[in-house]
This record gives sequence, C-alpha cells and structure tokens, in this order.
Amino acid sequence: MTPLLEVNHVSKQFGNETKALSDVNFSVSEGEFVSIIGPSGAGKSTLLRCINRMIDASNGEIIFDNMNVMNLKKKELKMVRTKIGMIFQHYNLVNRLSVIENTLHGNLGKKSTIAGALGLYNQEEKEQAVKILSTLGLVEHIYKRADQLSGGQKQRVGIARALIQNPRMMLCDEPIASLDPNSAKVIMDHLRNISTTMGITVLVNLHQVDVALKYSDRVIGINHGQVVFNGTPKDITKDDIQRIYGSEAEDLIFDIGGIHAS
Amino acid sequence: MEANEQVVSGEPMLESPSKPIKIKILTKSTIAIRITLLALAFLTVYAFFSFDYKEIDFGEAILATFANIKAMFFEAHFNHFTFTHAFYQVLITLGLAFLTTIFGAIIAVFLGLLAAENLTSKRVSAVIKGIVAFIRAVPTVLWVLIFAVAAGLGSVAAVIGMTFHSVSYLVKAYSESFEELDNGVIEALQASGASFWQIIFQAVIPSSLTYMISWTFLRFEINFAVAVAMGAAAGAGGIGFDMFMASNFYLDIREIGTITYFILAIAILLEVFATKFKKKLRVNG
Ligand SMILES: Nc1ncnc2c1ncn2[C@@H]1O[C@H](COP(=O)(O)OP(=O)(O)OP(=O)(O)O)[C@@H](O)[C@H]1O
Ligand SMILES: [Mg+2]
Repeated sequence: MTPLLEVNHVSKQFGNETKALSDVNFSVSEGEFVSIIGPSGAGKSTLLRCINRMIDASNGEIIFDNMNVMNLKKKELKMVRTKIGMIFQHYNLVNRLSVIENTLHGNLGKKSTIAGALGLYNQEEKEQAVKILSTLGLVEHIYKRADQLSGGQKQRVGIARALIQNPRMMLCDEPIASLDPNSAKVIMDHLRNISTTMGITVLVNLHQVDVALKYSDRVIGINHGQVVFNGTPKDITKDDIQRIYGSEAEDLIFDIGGIHAS
Repeated sequence: MEANEQVVSGEPMLESPSKPIKIKILTKSTIAIRITLLALAFLTVYAFFSFDYKEIDFGEAILATFANIKAMFFEAHFNHFTFTHAFYQVLITLGLAFLTTIFGAIIAVFLGLLAAENLTSKRVSAVIKGIVAFIRAVPTVLWVLIFAVAAGLGSVAAVIGMTFHSVSYLVKAYSESFEELDNGVIEALQASGASFWQIIFQAVIPSSLTYMISWTFLRFEINFAVAVAMGAAAGAGGIGFDMFMASNFYLDIREIGTITYFILAIAILLEVFATKFKKKLRVNG
C-alpha cells in the first residue's frame, strides 16, 4: 500500500538555539493508527503542527496524499487542511456556541467565505452533524453551550468537529491529557474505532505509554527532536523505552512488563 | 510545648500559635503606596485650612446652597418651554448620543480587529493602539471644538467629534475583549481550513459579544452626558441648549431643575434597560 503521509528529513529550528526536530523520517499508510510518544519538550507537538503547516518546518519534505505540503500556496493549503482533522488537549471549542454549531465549524473550510462567516449551513450538513454527534453519544446535548459540558464531552465535540470534515487523517495532540481515566478510555476507543471502521488514518501524541501500546498499530518514539523508535507495540523493549524517555524511565519499564504479560 | 511536638517540623507558623501572623509583607511598593496616601491626606487637610475664605460665612453659604437646591428641585416649573418641547429636545440629545455611538461602534469593530494582537501582528496592533490612545487622551469636547474649526460650531462638529472619541474608546475596549479569546480556538479553526473572516464571525465575535455590548452601552451613557454638554458648549441643540438658555440667559434656576429631572429620568431609564438587556444576554448567549 502506498503511504498516505511521508515525512522525509524534516527539521525545525526555533530561533537560533532550539532545535525542536532534527532529520525526522517516517511514513504512515492509509488507515493506520500511530502513536507518537516522548518526554516533554521532545518535539511531538511541533511535529504534528508541521504536518498541517500550523508551523512551517525549516527543512525536508512532507508528502500528504501525493502532495508536498511544504510547497503549497494558500488556497491549496486550505484544501489540504480540510482533509486533515485536528483535535487538541484543551479541546479549543468556541465556549459560547452550542455543540452543533461547534461541530458545524468543521465545514467552514469547504464553504464560501460569506456563507461560512454567517453560519449558513444546508440541511445535509446539519443532518451529517447530528448523525456524527449521535454516534459519539452527544445527541441529547446538541443545543447545550460548549462550556456546559464535561471535559470528556468537550473532547467528543472536538472529534465531531474533525469528523464532519470527512478527513483522510486525524492529528491528535494529547487528546486525553486533561481527562480522567474513564473519559480517556472513551475517547481512545472512539479514535480507534474511527481508524478501524472508517479507515481514517490517526496520528496521536500521547504521554501514557501503556495507552499507546494498547491502542496503536505502530509507535514512534521521539527524544530531543529525533525519532529513536519506530515499530509495533510488540517490538518495543525496555531498552527502547529507556532510549525514548532517557534515564527517568524506571517506572515506565514497570508498565511495559504489565502490558506484555497481559 | 507538648502539643506542638506533634506538629510537623519545618512549619514555623504552627509552632507558636500565640504570635500574630502577618498576612501582608511590607515591600518597597506597599511602602511607596502608603507614603503617597499619607502625603495626599495631609495635602487635602492642609489645603482646606489654607484656602482664602475672605468674607464667606460658612453657615450662610450652606444655607444659601440648600435654598438654591430647594428652589431647583422642589419648585421646578416650566416657564420658557413646554413639556412637549422639552421632551422633543431630550429626544434630539438621545439621537445625538445614539448616532455617535452606532457610528463609533461600527468603525471600532473593524479597527478593533486590526488592533487585537492575536488577530493581526504585534506591530499593526501597537500602531493602532498608540494612535487611539492619543485620541482618547484629548477630551471629547476638545475634539468637537477642533472639528468645529472646519465644520462650524453646531451639530455636524458634535457628531464628528463625538464619533471620533467614541471610536478610540471602543477600539480599546473591543480589541481587549478580542484578545481574551484563547489562541487555541483560532488555531483549531485555521487547522480545519477556515478563512480569516470566517474565524472572526464564527469564533472571535461570538466569544466577545457580551463584552462588546456592555462596553457599547457604557459608551452610550457617556455619549448621552456628552451630548447634553455639547448642546450647551457647541450649540449642538437638544436639551443641553435649553439648559444653557435657562441658566445663562433667563437665569431661571427652577427651570434648570425641571431639565435636570428630565435628564435624570433618561439616565435611569437607560441604566434599567441596559441592566435588563445584559441579564437577558447572559442567560441566552
Ligand atoms: N513557538 C515556539 N517558539 C520557540 N520554541 C518553541 C516553540 N514551540 C516549541 N518550542 C520548543 O520546541 C521544543 C519542542 O516543543 P514541543 O511543544 O513540540 O514539545 P512536546 O514534545 O510537544 O512537549 P510536551 O509533551 O510538553 O507537549 C521545546 O524545546 C520547546 O521549547
Ligand atoms: Mg506538546
């Protein structure tokens, strides 16, 4: 299968000092569920943001769906972005608007500026929004204001907003870092389900190694802006974990024992 | 001492509970603030003693003032105008305040978007905020008089001058409420391919709408007061002009009382309406 996303020799420099990414290489095929793990400051968020050009990478090439993302003009970039959904640790919803309005925001990129600015959505779009919200278990909340929801519910609205884009790929930056274990499981199950049943590629930054190992088809480990591990959860060893997380990895090694045993 | 032994060591406050605990620590700035306040208090008292009171008898002055106030408010009457005339003039003043607030608000929304650091660049924002701060520093009345040089004293100068100052005031208020919006929200919509104006109308303005309405109402109240003053000072018409006539031309203090009642009634009505409206917004918005 041809890869949907290819990241070749990508580097990112902030200012003169901080090298957030150096010579990152990997590829992701259609429908794959890939987790990116690494210590704080390793460059995980930077990497995700380079893919949809929320940040411009300094060097290298990023190929998404046979297009070099780094050379795109404004219009083409917008078009590519409509095919990539993104969800965030802090949900980033418009608090004063309702759940369904926030969901429909995912359609803005495909609408004319005026229709989008005025919030004029057609019946089809609205039906689609309701359908997605009901698969995420939010159908009784569609008219609630976003700031009246719990964290887990907000994140599901975040997923709905990304799904209504009809994306080829989802980028998730620590989607469960602010959630309790139960809500986190619900979110991860939804993401896994999106990948398996809809064939949408999912790329997710995680802080929890056990979660990454449990849900992913493949794990990419990053340390100091470099890819130090790229393989299936089964292949990961204590040494790999140590290489990803450095010397603070003692406790994590414990986790892995548990996961592999079960 | 026995009881204290159970307390975890390293918490000095708990070891001797009888000693008073300070909750404010004297720093350089608190000392400076206190010295300033003391100096101001001293100057105020000193000033009262050093006034040149000359022939004024305090008791008599107070009584005379009370008599004036009594005449103004308890013997208020119409002499040179009728009720309908006064009512009509109040409407004119309200109209002036309304017009300048609306003009100001519309212009200020666009300038406010440009002046919000998170929506444009730091430099554009700094330039606009600088200009606007300068305009705000000059009082509205002065702007009206400045524009009167070109437009002549009257309602046109009043509208331009008041709009000018309203814009500068509202640009600051609006841009600050736009800046309150979390950058992540803007980022999320950008990441889905939304355009600048879509983000403005779908995220930025809905998030700041209640603030914007509060500030606009506040400015409307200010503009009403200014419009009264403009009637007198710049010949812009309205109830302010009648007040000027009553006080400086007819010297009729009782009529001033009537006009003051009118203005007060409008101010209270505005306040009540604003509060109700805001409450409703908070519930529904
Ligand atoms: N806008 C920026 N300007 C300057 N330096 C930045 C910027 N964004 C990130 N960095 C730096 O780049 C490096 C990687 O940051 P990044 O946010 O990608 O890490 P991360 O792996 O996502 O960390 P975390 O797990 O804490 O979210 C860090 O050293 C950070 O200080
Ligand atoms: Mg991060």
